[in-house]
Amino acid sequence: MNESFRRLRYLLSRRRFDRELADDMVFHREMAAREGKRNFGSALRLREEARDAWGWTWIDRLCQDVRYAARMLRKSPGFTLVAVLMLAIGIGANVAVFGFFDLMVLRPLNVRDPGTLLRFHRRAPASYAFALPYPEMAFFREYSRTLSAVLALNFTKVAVEGEEKQLDANFVTANYLSELGATARLGRMFDPNRDEAADADPVVVLGHGFWQRHFGADPLVVGRTIRLNGKPATVIGVAASDFSGLSLKEPALWAPITQQPYFANGSHLLTDFSVESSGVQMWGRVQPGLTPKAAEEELRSLAAELHKRHPTEIWEKESLPGEPGGYASSLTIGNRRGTGTGTEERDPIYSVFALVGTLALLILAVACGNVGSLLLARGAAREREIAIRVAVGAGNGRLIRQLFTESLVLALLGSMAGLAVGYAVLRSLMVLTGSPAWLDPAPDWRVVVFAIGAGFASAILFGLMPALQAGRQRHRAIVTRQVLIGAQVAASCVLLIVAGLLGRALDHAMSTHPGFEYQRVVSIDPGLSRYGYSPARAQAYLDTLQSRLRALPGVESVSLALVPPLGDISIGAGFGVDGHDVNVQINHVDPQFFQTMKIPLLRGRNLMRGETHAIVVGESMARRAWPGQDALGKKVALGEGYTVVGIAGSARSAKLEDSDSVEVYLPIETADLPSLFVLAKTAASPEDLARSAVTVVRAIDPNTFPEVQLLRTGFRLKLEILESAALAVSLLGSVAQLLACLGIVGLVAYAVSQRTKEIGIRMALGAKPSQVLSLVLRQFSRPVAAGLLVGVGAAAALSQFLRGGLYGISNLDPTAYLAAIAVFILTVAVAALLPARRALRIDPLRALRYE
Amino acid sequence: MPKQEMPSGALTLLILRVLRSGALHGYAIAQRIHVLSSEVLQVEEGALYPALQKILLKGWATSEWGVSETNRKVRFYRLTPSGRKRLEAELSGYHRVHEAIQSVLRTA
Repeated sequence: MNESFRRLRYLLSRRRFDRELADDMVFHREMAAREGKRNFGSALRLREEARDAWGWTWIDRLCQDVRYAARMLRKSPGFTLVAVLMLAIGIGANVAVFGFFDLMVLRPLNVRDPGTLLRFHRRAPASYAFALPYPEMAFFREYSRTLSAVLALNFTKVAVEGEEKQLDANFVTANYLSELGATARLGRMFDPNRDEAADADPVVVLGHGFWQRHFGADPLVVGRTIRLNGKPATVIGVAASDFSGLSLKEPALWAPITQQPYFANGSHLLTDFSVESSGVQMWGRVQPGLTPKAAEEELRSLAAELHKRHPTEIWEKESLPGEPGGYASSLTIGNRRGTGTGTEERDPIYSVFALVGTLALLILAVACGNVGSLLLARGAAREREIAIRVAVGAGNGRLIRQLFTESLVLALLGSMAGLAVGYAVLRSLMVLTGSPAWLDPAPDWRVVVFAIGAGFASAILFGLMPALQAGRQRHRAIVTRQVLIGAQVAASCVLLIVAGLLGRALDHAMSTHPGFEYQRVVSIDPGLSRYGYSPARAQAYLDTLQSRLRALPGVESVSLALVPPLGDISIGAGFGVDGHDVNVQINHVDPQFFQTMKIPLLRGRNLMRGETHAIVVGESMARRAWPGQDALGKKVALGEGYTVVGIAGSARSAKLEDSDSVEVYLPIETADLPSLFVLAKTAASPEDLARSAVTVVRAIDPNTFPEVQLLRTGFRLKLEILESAALAVSLLGSVAQLLACLGIVGLVAYAVSQRTKEIGIRMALGAKPSQVLSLVLRQFSRPVAAGLLVGVGAAAALSQFLRGGLYGISNLDPTAYLAAIAVFILTVAVAALLPARRALRIDPLRALRYE
Repeated sequence: MPKQEMPSGALTLLILRVLRSGALHGYAIAQRIHVLSSEVLQVEEGALYPALQKILLKGWATSEWGVSETNRKVRFYRLTPSGRKRLEAELSGYHRVHEAIQSVLRTA
């Protein structure tokens, strides 16, 4: 039995130990009394001193403080309510942000053993891709010794009878469901031994949501035959509702990947080595006892081996970095790919979190500032109480500890309320944005710890200074309050400016022409690569499709492009010019593209059909790569090398929101033909065109199921994101500004009441109203001005993160800054003048008699 | 006789020493020290009980119920093996220091 154990046992049976000690001491006195000795010390105090040896007295003091704090807070319910409410808003905003971060990055997915899952992607010195060709994955699966399981997933849309739109089907390796621990709601999951065999019958497992929606949760669905793309398949099971596998959206159904060609007629997925193949996302589990490094080493040597057999498709020096795959953030990485010397396009997820997190922290800072002001005011009101406590012997440390405990209790209440607020905010946001149901925003232990930590930190922020001040019995409350006001002003100023920037961006995006036509253009994805079209067949198909589209009434122009404008696909690339890297968005287009999209050719000539090494660059791209020079005729070190033949107007069709993005247009390569999109511009209604396009496509090949989208819709979707961001930040900004103004109102009112006598004397001596006002307000103008300066500076620094999403508005846009500052000064002036007017109404006679 | 102040470490040593010959209750410990020191050392409650609590915490003694000479149920403190060891260590340390001080006093 060691010391800490005894200490703990003491704590657990403290009452008994205490009683025994008391008994000892009573007995001691009895005996002493018998011998005629007397003891005058306080028995209670002696006992406490003896008890001290066990080191638990702090608990008693804490309990005492907490009880007292609770009593004090109950006594002024108004103060408590306001303080807790402010903290709930401040902490709630942070809890919501952290909760989302937790959901995406920290919390493992609801699959078996998520910690050992790795997501692999391809990387070579000049290329990267987040999808692997199926045969490459199959090669790794066969020869890898470091991976205990290899999982692959291919997204293909399928048409299901009775459904208007095509549905998401996940074609997966047969071990996928069992390896991820999926349980069956009905029937069975895939059997790796049976369902991936060459002669296996076509089978599907239904997603829970699809089963409920399409089959009305029919319990007898197992064994039924459904038709996908017209091909029959047997339903063998329904997955449990909490399983979504490794895709953010719960798919309608899963099917063995070996049957993908059966459903997508003519697909070469299983044999196609090329990077243009839609490919698969690959996950692996590392053998127990091995590190991910070992797996990467092995895959690198396997890739080198495969490179010998397929020298063009498998890249030289290809490696397959593995990242933790058991988290939601790894699912947001799509199938992007890129070439050139540029770096990989990473998810902006961390910088978004950094930005939003900072904004949320600002709200908390404002809330803390306010609660701090409230506490200071209360501290002034409690001077008498504190003086009495000091008089009866409360030490300084004890007093500060007691006051700080009150703040801690407040903060804890705020944490709890904030947890509820954060959950409500996150939940409603997720419902609004249509997040998958399995992403459960309910707080887990990390979020709870975070909320308590945030509460503790804010208690230090808002409680320590007032406590120290009250404890020291010093009355420099005004200075402290000025600091608090300055901090609040700075924080809410940042929020207002960011809101202003987003609002400007929204306004700009809606009112300015994006450099290309989108109102009347329809993009058609015939999805030829899904159906195994060879380039030659695709060429014939596309020729027919284009001529039939041109024949439709109202159609003005038809063209081809690898990347549809305003979609969610983008191909990034980078190349070096005179020692610096230029990153561009690549599109492969036919000569009609510029006419269809109404992108003007400023200089040089258009691309020509069948050309291979010509490139048309956007004007901004030309300016950036060759400043002060003529771009025409310059060489571009991309792939096999291109020569600039034309300069087009600047357009951001792939990344509308990022004003730094520049575009280049390359000729269509034969290998790309099956992946092309068709763009058609009409003089009439694009909705009508979209409808007739579907009929036209199906008439050419009834096996294919095209996706048709209005560019207008894509444009609106992009703006909706911006709109909700602007709305959210404006809301946060208004809340912060309101809180700051409330703080100022309180502060000015307090100052007026403190100086009533002085003001009375001055007025009696003939001070003018303006002089009185300036007397009252002078002490606030400085902290407000300082806060404003700091806020503007911080906003300028912080908005760097936003640059990629402002639709061409500079992050230092003067209009946004001036507007925000104007709103700010106006509200602050109102907040300061309202209570200051009271100073003018002071009656000198009465003021002098006062007190 | 004037009361002598006692260094706090010394009290622990004395308590352990008087407990060596058998279990005692608190008052008896104080009495024993008082008597054995020819009534020079006076152990007050305010020092005795904190020291005893510390001894319990360190595990040098345990407490058990017994009956006092006045027929009252009362706690007796009994030395544990680790307390015995501690006593030996403190005694030898004390002797060394004592001798060192003595030799300084004699020769200086």
